[in-house]
Amino acid sequence: MSGRTDILGKLKNDRAGLAGFLIVSLFFLLALGVWLGWLGQGWSDAGGGRWEAPGAEHWFGTNVLGQDIFQRAVYSVRTAFEIGLVVALFSTLVGAVLGALAGWYSGSWVDGTVMWMKGVLDSIPFYLFVAAVAFALQGQPWAMHLAMIATFWTTTGRLVRAEVMKIKSMDYVRSARSIGLHDSLILARHVLPNTSHILLVQATIAFVAAIKTEVILSFLGLGVQDGVSWGLMLAESTQEVLAGHFANFVAASGMLFLLLIGFNLLADALQDALDPRQAAL
Amino acid sequence: MKPLLRKLLQGLLLILGVTLISFLLMVWFGPDQTYTLIGKNATAEQIADIRQQLGYDQPFFKRYLDYLASLATLDLGTSNASGEQVNKILMRTVPVSLALMVPGFILGNLLGVALGLSAASHHGKWRDRLISGLSVGGMSISFLVVIIAFQVLLSTPYGLDLFPVRGWQVSGFGSYLQYVTVPTLALIFVTLGYNTRFYRAVFIEESGKDHIRTARAYGASNAEILWKHVLKNSMVPIVTRVMFSIPLVVISGSLLIESYFGIPGIGLATFEAITSGDQPVLKAVVGLTAVAFVAIQVLSEMLYRLLDPRVV
Amino acid sequence: MPVGAARKLLPLLATGALLLQLAACSDAPDGIEADAAESIYRHSMDGAPRSLDPAQASSIYAKMLVVNLYDTLYRYKYLARPYQLTPNLAEGLPQVSADGLIYTIRIRPGVYFMDDPAFPGGKGRAVTAEDFVYSLKRHFDPATRAQGAWLWQDRIVGLDQWQDEGSDYDREVSGLRALDEHTVQIQLISPFPQLTHTLAQGFSAVVPREAVQHYGREFPIRPVGSGPYQLQSFNSSSAVLRRNAGFRQQPFRLEEEGYDPETQSYLGLEHLEGKVPPFTDRIEVEFIAEDAARWNTFISGETDFIKVPVTQFDQVLSARDPPVLSAEMAEQFQLAANLESGFVHTDFNMDDRRIGYHPNPDQDARNKALRCAIIKAFDWQKRNDVFYYGIGKVFPGIIPPVSSEYNPEQHGVHTERDLAGARKLLRDSGWHAGNLPELEYGFTSSVTERQMFEQLRSFLADIDYPAEKIRPLTFATYGDYARAYLNREVMLTTTGWTMDYPDAENTMQLFYGPNSSPGSNSANYNNAEFNRLYRASATLPPSAMRTSIYRNMNRILLQDCVTISGIARTLILLWNRDMAMLPDRSFVGGFFFRFVGSSEDPTAYTKNESPRQ
Repeated sequence: MSGRTDILGKLKNDRAGLAGFLIVSLFFLLALGVWLGWLGQGWSDAGGGRWEAPGAEHWFGTNVLGQDIFQRAVYSVRTAFEIGLVVALFSTLVGAVLGALAGWYSGSWVDGTVMWMKGVLDSIPFYLFVAAVAFALQGQPWAMHLAMIATFWTTTGRLVRAEVMKIKSMDYVRSARSIGLHDSLILARHVLPNTSHILLVQATIAFVAAIKTEVILSFLGLGVQDGVSWGLMLAESTQEVLAGHFANFVAASGMLFLLLIGFNLLADALQDALDPRQAAL
Repeated sequence: MKPLLRKLLQGLLLILGVTLISFLLMVWFGPDQTYTLIGKNATAEQIADIRQQLGYDQPFFKRYLDYLASLATLDLGTSNASGEQVNKILMRTVPVSLALMVPGFILGNLLGVALGLSAASHHGKWRDRLISGLSVGGMSISFLVVIIAFQVLLSTPYGLDLFPVRGWQVSGFGSYLQYVTVPTLALIFVTLGYNTRFYRAVFIEESGKDHIRTARAYGASNAEILWKHVLKNSMVPIVTRVMFSIPLVVISGSLLIESYFGIPGIGLATFEAITSGDQPVLKAVVGLTAVAFVAIQVLSEMLYRLLDPRVV
Repeated sequence: MPVGAARKLLPLLATGALLLQLAACSDAPDGIEADAAESIYRHSMDGAPRSLDPAQASSIYAKMLVVNLYDTLYRYKYLARPYQLTPNLAEGLPQVSADGLIYTIRIRPGVYFMDDPAFPGGKGRAVTAEDFVYSLKRHFDPATRAQGAWLWQDRIVGLDQWQDEGSDYDREVSGLRALDEHTVQIQLISPFPQLTHTLAQGFSAVVPREAVQHYGREFPIRPVGSGPYQLQSFNSSSAVLRRNAGFRQQPFRLEEEGYDPETQSYLGLEHLEGKVPPFTDRIEVEFIAEDAARWNTFISGETDFIKVPVTQFDQVLSARDPPVLSAEMAEQFQLAANLESGFVHTDFNMDDRRIGYHPNPDQDARNKALRCAIIKAFDWQKRNDVFYYGIGKVFPGIIPPVSSEYNPEQHGVHTERDLAGARKLLRDSGWHAGNLPELEYGFTSSVTERQMFEQLRSFLADIDYPAEKIRPLTFATYGDYARAYLNREVMLTTTGWTMDYPDAENTMQLFYGPNSSPGSNSANYNNAEFNRLYRASATLPPSAMRTSIYRNMNRILLQDCVTISGIARTLILLWNRDMAMLPDRSFVGGFFFRFVGSSEDPTAYTKNESPRQ
């Protein structure tokens, strides 16, 4: 597709965006390595001593249990990608579908209901809502994901709705309607593909938000339950930093920062490349 | 006034939705306090007694309607944990949260506007790039990391050790500043990236508009353009952003800051209500936030009219 | 070109920041209404009480405050170790009838409740025997939401019936009566030698009926008592207590409090002899849950006392056994090492057929072998080193070192790691990685509990228990966790039990069959012989015979492999040298507040003394 090469071409000229892309790719490779069982597999082994200093055997030292902080930080890349991908994918999907429906049937009860749902979800303080979902689905490993999906779709929904309302009035859509094509077909074939620039950018933004939220939730004890994540490492570090053990804090916050800045740069570049008008706003 | 009426009706529907969802999540499926209130070696009978006292045995709709009634009459009941009236808890904690969050909130937005203006007026130049780059950096740091880092750097012997580590022993303006500074700096730091970026985009959009170009063509000075035209015409998005972030920043932001710094505000009270399952407190916080949010929506609708007569 | 707006704004902000900084550095006026001449003691605790109603004083945090705001009939001697009972509001120890069933207690005359609007005219009235009777009855009134009824349930004649008949305070309970204004008589159903201990609990503190009625639901935060302190302010982050000017005059006698000059002279308490407690005008209690923050408020001088977080032991101690304060710390602080009055243990849910009892005797035996293997694989040494700095006391079973029934000779195969033995047990009973059951380990989401879980998982990895078969079962609130395990839904639960009184009966009941969930026997252990011995020993006063029964019960429990137990933590308590005091987190608990004085000469300090306990 010409659109694709266009993006790549524009990205190539955007040095910050390129850097972001490289960082994200690097992290993705790390995540892939963990998935394939090549990296970070020893994250839960407690083989080392208590709070060992960084060295040849434990690059970032060990935590209180003697677990290798480097391995834990690397394994957490996978956790971050799992959360980020799931939340980004589903929140964008839900936002796209509901936004498109609302835009297509704007003014009708469908639109009203979607906008009401959006209004309701936007009115509950975010952490309270997420905490509440985590409680309600006690013990479910997907509670956190669900809570984020339920709140993150609203922005995508709003943007897609506006875009669809615009597209709806365009000639090719009108003509498609006039020859009697079914609504759902027009939406799927002609309308939704034209919102892909919004979806791509919103997905990256949702990814960033998901990772950041995981950190807070895990700190509050409502996030990752089995495994390890940067949020859990940071929660651990809150007990350690004031005793002078900084390895957990530095490793987790450093990698978190890198990945987030990579994604933020990428999101900016994508926005510039795909949707210059929105980029300004 | 018809649109306003419509807005009010919408607001009412929103409140119904918010209360229903929060009731479902936080009360119906919410944490169960029974088992923190029983003694050792409790009997099944004692457990049933407590459940009945807490009203857990009532049907869904009765409990939901009671909730709506308590919100409507502002008779919010008493905490199940301490027996303190929820109204009193709110009156005790909300001022603390406001005193804690307002300085950071105002400074964060002012600084954001200033930096945004500065960047927008040098659109595309190195200063713009620097500010944009820094705000992306700021956006990439987790709130939790900021809080931990600021505490270590400002309040411990590992850093400057200037301020109390935590707490809120406020007795006068001096002690207030002592306790408010570190949380405020953390709050400014964490919101500044977002604010700057947002305001920069608003100003750039505004600068590109025809009337600004015209003014520029007529030789108005840069400062004049920014003050008279860009800033003034950007008031609607600025006010909207500020208004809408108030309830969320106060509750969500203070939840983390207060539980980390041990400050007895509404955020900490909410956090404790969550972890102890104190439903009367939770219900009040969520319900009142929703009402506040909807009220702000209606209010901002009126403000738009004042600021921008073009809005119909 | 420079921007006017930003130019004008930025200096303004900079000035603001500067002012902020200046004001922050200037000396802020201290505390609320604190008088310069007032003596202050600033205590810190790692948790906050939720209620100050004695009937709800179930947490150590609540007890700490309640016994200062209210009076109990008895308390523990300030300095005597092992702990000893002594009269508080009572005039002397109870007179007990020969059959051990009737207790007669005289209450000190001339003790008054503090002034409060709840009383007619706002004037506190005299405390009477009737008040004590009322206070105990409250535990048997469902409206109180009391948590202490278990102490007296099925013990006092007529009290349980009184509840069944509607908890009418005007009706008399035959076993719990005020004989006259200052005499209480308690009649027991069967001998209960621990009764006097229960009367030293915060639960049994004396409250005035007027205040309970006046404040209603808010009574828990409006304490009206006759204790040495009055509440000035209270919220979830701190409490401020002010000396009760009307507190009874009773001079402090070192000897009566069990002072041992041999080991306690380093405390510098002699100059307090003969003075009238409470010695300190104002007590500020900070509730700081986060270890690091609590430590920093202490080290920066914002509080006078701390239970040192384990993460700081490195910095504080120069030797572990016995703990010795580092020279640098000793210049400012005093140390007491306190063995906790309780222990931490991990129970198997015996009601769970995957790991506990099984109707099929073969499977039952295999499950037992599995439990025993897990116990053998548990590395107590490492648990102690990582979480308790190696100074906790590991012991086999459920008679913790703090109780007099503890058997120091009983070293245990049960607490020594035996990987070969564990593997052999598994092999012999046909367990292998493929058929081992999935273990669910329950905990409330907190960093330390998660670490303990991960450590257990790594211990079991050493006997080839597959990591993916050991799952966390996490709960966001303690209440939800408690609901799950009290409904027998959790396979492995870790509990820290704090003894209510210094008598091992209090830990034996943890495994008594009829106390199964929702009772405190959360292992749901039910062994006929153990139960029989428990019943036989329950009515016995402390004696060599009772001790041997307890030890026998301990052996039975160990053989059945019901619990991975246990460790008693060593608490390192530090306080400012300006204070002359001996803090306590155990049975004395909050009773020590009234004896906190200032040092005669805080600079007098010799480097060679080694504080012991």
